[in-house]
Amino acid sequence: MSSDLLSIARSGAMAARIALDVTAQNIANASSTGYVRRSVSLTEVTASGGFGRVNDVSLSGVRLDRVVRNADQFRQAEVRRTGGDAARAGAELTALENIETAVEQSGLYPAIVGFDTALQRLSTDPVDPSLRSAALEAARTLAGTFNLAASGLEASSTLQRFEAQDEVNQVNDIATELGRVNLRLSRAGIDSSDQAALLDQRDLLLDRLSGMSDIATEIAADQTVSVRLGGTAGPQLVSGGTTQPLAMSTAGDGTIGFTLGGGPITLSGGSLAGRASALDTAAATRTALDGLADSLISTANAAQTNGAALDGTTGQPLFSGSGASGISLALTSGAGLATAPAGSAIGSRDQSNLAALRGALTSADLAGGTDALLFSISSTVASRRTTSEALDVIAGSARVALSAQAGVDLDAEAVNLIRYQQAFQANGKAMQVAATLFDTLLAIR
Amino acid sequence: MTRISTSAFYERSRLNMGGLRAQAEDLQAAIGRGERLARSSDDPVAASRLRGLLRAERHSAIDTSNANLASTDLQLADGALSEFTAFTIRAQELATQAASGTLNADQRAAIGQELGLLHGSLVALANSRNGAGHALFGGVTTGAAYSVDGAGNAVYGGSASAGELALGEGLSVSRGITGPDFLNFNHNGVPTNLMAVVKGLADALQGGAADPATAARDALGALDSGLDTVSAGQTLVGVRLAWVDLTTERRIDLSELRQGEQAELGGTDLPATITRLQEILTVLEASQASFTKLSSLSLLDNLR
Repeated sequence: MSSDLLSIARSGAMAARIALDVTAQNIANASSTGYVRRSVSLTEVTASGGFGRVNDVSLSGVRLDRVVRNADQFRQAEVRRTGGDAARAGAELTALENIETAVEQSGLYPAIVGFDTALQRLSTDPVDPSLRSAALEAARTLAGTFNLAASGLEASSTLQRFEAQDEVNQVNDIATELGRVNLRLSRAGIDSSDQAALLDQRDLLLDRLSGMSDIATEIAADQTVSVRLGGTAGPQLVSGGTTQPLAMSTAGDGTIGFTLGGGPITLSGGSLAGRASALDTAAATRTALDGLADSLISTANAAQTNGAALDGTTGQPLFSGSGASGISLALTSGAGLATAPAGSAIGSRDQSNLAALRGALTSADLAGGTDALLFSISSTVASRRTTSEALDVIAGSARVALSAQAGVDLDAEAVNLIRYQQAFQANGKAMQVAATLFDTLLAIR
Repeated sequence: MTRISTSAFYERSRLNMGGLRAQAEDLQAAIGRGERLARSSDDPVAASRLRGLLRAERHSAIDTSNANLASTDLQLADGALSEFTAFTIRAQELATQAASGTLNADQRAAIGQELGLLHGSLVALANSRNGAGHALFGGVTTGAAYSVDGAGNAVYGGSASAGELALGEGLSVSRGITGPDFLNFNHNGVPTNLMAVVKGLADALQGGAADPATAARDALGALDSGLDTVSAGQTLVGVRLAWVDLTTERRIDLSELRQGEQAELGGTDLPATITRLQEILTVLEASQASFTKLSSLSLLDNLR
């Protein structure tokens, strides 16, 4: 007989101890980010009978087979994919809301209406100095508002570029770290607790990476991962221990582009893609704002040149500069507003040139253009908000699905505590029985 | 079996309660603001319409002040025209006296002097200024409506038309009446004006004419025509005042419509919002209570 009750009980007690350790580890890491619940897989130790001892009982107890890491690669990939989409939509929405705020809260529309109404009021008595000053101040407000909208837009774009640069650096750091984890994974024992910890780290890094860019992963047999940027056909960011650097370039209009290892790539997921797309919108908005400002400058200045100021001289330009950020008031006094047609006498109450200016402003349709611009931004924001909310829900449910499998449930761990504690006690009892048996044998006289 | 991991339970509870709280705060902010939209993207179409309404409202405010201005100028003109009527009637009385054969030359000369003074008053009245300090009867001229030439005759120096004031929606009103509109008339086919008639009579009575009584009788007819012209002018002013009132009523109606639409598009529906807020607060309270209950349940507590 080759069984040994004492050593069987000892192996059982040791296995129960290990299982208790794993349970305690699970409880301790119940709220650790990226921790995947472990469970132990035990297996029987037996020896099959050899020649001549076919019917022998040969039991050797139990041993720890492996520490199981309860992560499902499909669910993890789902979390990364949906998380990347949600991050892209979220980053784009925030940036677009900033653009909307810059244009809307600058009060551009009320300022345009204010300038128009000041001119309308001036037409009741074009020689009244206070009405002239009011019209001039309304023009100053309008120019200032254009400046404000342009600088708000610029500030929001600068912030986006700054954050995008920061994220590019993070992507490179994570890629380097992933390379290091890959090297250590290739040396770690299969199904060891060491490997499980490295896998946790690997998945956490991939998770963070997917929040910033759209990645495609490929897991090798030794659990090392190779990462491609920009989808499954994209260039490799990490392969084994080697990484390619991701770089960002800024174009003249403030939009950004990316290169990986020198070659240009297009990102379609993650916050970097969201920021790039929001910067495109910002550039288009700036162009539209500049167009409105230029149209105001040329319309007002052309009308001024065709008329005569209060002192009978030819009207001087009302605005100077160009574009929304460059526009500024050129006239210094309300008397310089050319309300009368060219060649009028000093102090003429003829307001036909003012009427021409108002007519030209009406046909330039600044208010309509601003309204259309605001409408286009705000409807973009509204639709992106809906998309972002939907993607958040999808990403949330993918995360719940993963955590249902990979997360720690304290109630289940409490049950395990009791189970393995009892197993330990039972093995102790078996040892006691073995001792009693041994004593019985010794007591024979 | 679906396992619920502990951290997922806390995460979900946090998200749910956070979402409820955010919704409640949005509603509270909408009630506090009195406006449904905090930014255009909350409802792009309504926001665009509200911008259009704001613009119309601002323009309408200017139209209102224009209407008030026109109304003031026209009322000033109306008052001045009543004075003209009174002066013309006084001139008629004096002319009637002078036409009587019982007066001697000195008495006629005295009447002539009074008519001369009356002429001065008429010229001064014709040069009245409006609220903005411009000539009331001079159209859009920069100076006085009438000036007195070397011979003492009043000469019109204003513009041909009184100028228009826009009242919005493409409507406009003439901002007053020019001097020639109510002072010039034809007498016996000859164009003349009220002041010239009075001056001519004053000169005639003070020895300018061989037969002052006949001159006075002739002038009576002219003064009659003058009075008619002034009355016609006053009627014109009255019609224009009525037109301003009419457009004002129309503007108020439109403004009310706009405000109604504004309230409908952008205003907070208080009963609905408060009910919704109460509903969310109830749900929030319930989920907080159930969270506390659930999170206090742990198997570990019962292990001895």
